[in-house]
Amino acid sequence: MKQDNIRNFCIVAHIDHGKSTLADRLMEATGTVAKRDMEAQLLDSMDIERERGITIKLTPATMKYNYQGKEYILNLIDTPGHVDFSYEVSRSLAACEGAILVVDASQGVQAQTLANVYLALDANLEIIPVLNKIDLPTAQVAETKKEIEEVIGIPCDDACEISAKTGLNIETVLDAVVKYVPAPKGDDNKPLKALIFDSYYDSYKGAVSMVRIFDGSVKAGDEILFMQTKKSFIVTEVGVYTPEAQPRQTLSAGEVGYIAASIKNVSDTKVGDTITLKSNPIEKPLDGYKDAVSVVFCGVFPLDGDKYQELNDALNKLKLNDASLHFTKETSLALGHGFRCGFLGLLHMEIITERLEREFNLDIITTAPSVEYRITDNKGKVYDVKNPSEMPDKTSITKMEEPVVKLEIITPKDYLGGIMDLCADRRGVYLDMQYIDATRTRLIYTMPLNEIVYDFFDKIKSLSKGYASMDYELNGYQESDLVKLDILLNGEICDALSLIVHKDKAYARGRALCEKLKKVIPRHLFEIPIQAVIGGKVIARETISAMRKDVLAKCYGGDVTRKRKLLEKQKEGKKRMRRLGSVELPSEAFVTILKLDD
Amino acid sequence: MVDNRPLGLYVHIPFCNKKCDYCDFVSFSMNEQSQAEYLTALCNEIDLIKHNYDDVTFDTLYLGGGTPSILLPDFITKLTEKLYSSFHFADYLEYTMEINPMSFTRSKFLEYVKCGINRLSVGVQCLNESVLKKVGRIQTNKSVVDTFKLINQSAFLNVSADIMIGLPGQSSDDVKRTLTFLIDNDVKHISIYTLQVEEGTKLHENIKNHKVKPLSDKAQVKQYNQIYETLSQAGFIRYELSNYCVPGYESYHNQKYWNDTQYLGIGVAAHSYIEGYRYNNVTDYSKYISLCKEGKSPVASKEYITDKTRRTERIMLSLRTIHGLNLEKFKADFNEDLLRSKAEQIKQLTSLGMIVIENGYLKIAKDKFNVSNSIILELI
Repeated sequence: MKQDNIRNFCIVAHIDHGKSTLADRLMEATGTVAKRDMEAQLLDSMDIERERGITIKLTPATMKYNYQGKEYILNLIDTPGHVDFSYEVSRSLAACEGAILVVDASQGVQAQTLANVYLALDANLEIIPVLNKIDLPTAQVAETKKEIEEVIGIPCDDACEISAKTGLNIETVLDAVVKYVPAPKGDDNKPLKALIFDSYYDSYKGAVSMVRIFDGSVKAGDEILFMQTKKSFIVTEVGVYTPEAQPRQTLSAGEVGYIAASIKNVSDTKVGDTITLKSNPIEKPLDGYKDAVSVVFCGVFPLDGDKYQELNDALNKLKLNDASLHFTKETSLALGHGFRCGFLGLLHMEIITERLEREFNLDIITTAPSVEYRITDNKGKVYDVKNPSEMPDKTSITKMEEPVVKLEIITPKDYLGGIMDLCADRRGVYLDMQYIDATRTRLIYTMPLNEIVYDFFDKIKSLSKGYASMDYELNGYQESDLVKLDILLNGEICDALSLIVHKDKAYARGRALCEKLKKVIPRHLFEIPIQAVIGGKVIARETISAMRKDVLAKCYGGDVTRKRKLLEKQKEGKKRMRRLGSVELPSEAFVTILKLDD
Repeated sequence: MVDNRPLGLYVHIPFCNKKCDYCDFVSFSMNEQSQAEYLTALCNEIDLIKHNYDDVTFDTLYLGGGTPSILLPDFITKLTEKLYSSFHFADYLEYTMEINPMSFTRSKFLEYVKCGINRLSVGVQCLNESVLKKVGRIQTNKSVVDTFKLINQSAFLNVSADIMIGLPGQSSDDVKRTLTFLIDNDVKHISIYTLQVEEGTKLHENIKNHKVKPLSDKAQVKQYNQIYETLSQAGFIRYELSNYCVPGYESYHNQKYWNDTQYLGIGVAAHSYIEGYRYNNVTDYSKYISLCKEGKSPVASKEYITDKTRRTERIMLSLRTIHGLNLEKFKADFNEDLLRSKAEQIKQLTSLGMIVIENGYLKIAKDKFNVSNSIILELI
């Protein structure tokens, strides 16, 4: 296939603006997938994605389309729609020449629309604006166009007006892709240069790299070199996605497809890495490679201590397909053996923990999410702390820094006040405010990441009745007055409840935690003091008074069995409790810390 | 039978004039025909099983309910005759019957005595009519007073009373008045029932709908302790968690439930513990009647009591008693030294003053029975 007839593009959109539905329609319209085979939103292949209507894992699709008598190959590279995965988004964009910008005509431009479109512009992509959901009675086509032109600066005279749901005007999108997206301009004769924009584990083929070939070509039997990991493998199969994997003889310049090479580990097929031929390598890899960095950390423990090995196996299985998941062993006094896991962001954390519970049937306890703090000690040594329990004694610290993000929120102006209050409360520093239109405002703040990991997104959503949207990107570190807040139960530190918080918020959080714990810890035979402590100083205290009454009624008429069964059931319940010294903690105790503001 | 100690025999009478709101036992209203029908069914059940008990002696017999005293005296006579002719009873048989003051009469009393009933258990509950009314028990103070007058004019000695605490609206004074009355009337045995709000009862619903306000835990514990103090002063011993008596008047029948003795239960929803199995009869009245009519066993389920279960039951039941758990016997029976296997828990419970170990027995401290369940949970 000549490169002139190839178009590589992606779709960028805010969550729920119809990206996946549009992708489905495009495949249907090009006959790539027969209508009867369509399952709603074909590209979102995981259950959790389908339920939440968001895309996490990318699946590209190669489509054939006839335009003015010529056949074109259209390679659609899907991108994840969430900020946690912005690096993956950027790598997908780097594999394209153009992007369809989908905007819901009833909702207008949203935070992630902007975030993603800026990424696309950074990647020098040709942007094709598409207004979706024009069939809705609330659609405001003219206003949305104006918004795109004014806020983003993209002319919308020729913008497609469609309904992905009903299929209205879908072919105009395909025509626009052929007309406006530039054809790739690679060179078949140059040495192989291919970009990995995603990878996954297949139990037969091993780790498979999804690639865009920029120059050269690759076929089974070639020995390829991964330029970042510096590992080489013999190619066993190359092919394209239709969207099922379909083997081909070769992949050449301009094409999008996959390379399998019996690779055992997805961490050898890193997103953003460049593949070349070992015998004839290129000199310099493609720009923009980054290691997947964990941003949010939390402890994951099996509810039942005996399930540690199962949790270990489950995490290893998830890791096969998700190189961005990191975990190391962790031992907690209160929770026993488990893992400290690192995630790309909160959504990633939620997805992983949910998959552990759903796909592996594990009951788990997660500890409060933490970020990576940077500590300079009095000997001038600088190191990172991801777990409150690793935090050294205050006296040995000369400087503490915490990661900050640049935060962008778009909200109807009715909710502006509440959202700005929340941002101020979360130590946000106001940078800028712009009016997008008569009703909506764009706010820009910098904010410590530590403040976002505590249900910030949920808060924004509830404050704005779901109308506000947000996005953030990491924006370095800032020095900060942070303290470690410990919780003592009956005089003993419960390590799994320790937190690192800003000094100004420690008192309120300590008090809230004590109050919450008082509610969830059942009465014992003795009084239990709950104390919030900073560096040995008690800042808040609650007391659970001793149990007053717990008697089994008389075994009436010799019915011993009923009482015994009741007792056995209670004993089972006790077994599920975590023991810290003499105090028994229900697993809810560890969840409360995640939802303190309720 | 491996265990050659005499057995207990329990007969369940499932009839009441009106079910109290808190009751979740098996009881129904009745007429003369149903009395006859039930008596026949009981006799059929006895005929079906009696051959299994040819070589054993029963030394307690207990008619419980329900309200056995609402039955016509004739019923009790016929039932007693059937039992006497079907099983071997010890000469010193303890024969208890539960009576309700509202249905107790002189003629019934005479009939009971004639039958050999030598222990009466009177459902007194509380000498405050309006408190009882709130939980759907229709009973006058006069009926209680009259009942005891009647009993005390006879030579009848062995009288027990059931009282309830933790009733919505019940005051310490109500408890005090009730206890004083019983002590004054020479009652030898008192069983304490803390009101249990069981799911599915009318009371549960009334509380859920805020029609009735339950008594606070604090007030209940106060009553619990009040009873202990008052009865101790009056010379009673608490020989079990919820049972007090003048020394020598312990209920032999009830003790069988706590000390791993076998007992046979007859009637709808009756429970038995025979040769290592626990049996439950069907709880559905008409099913019981029809099974017995067809000469079939009314047993609905049976469970073999494994050593593990027996161990749990031993701890749970013996810790209810004044003697507590015999540690040597426990070791011999279950090959487990509790002082070792539960060393940590025992150490903590002892330091909290919850349990006492004395002369080879582990028992709950006198003033800690109010949290006995939590203590037992630590040890099983």
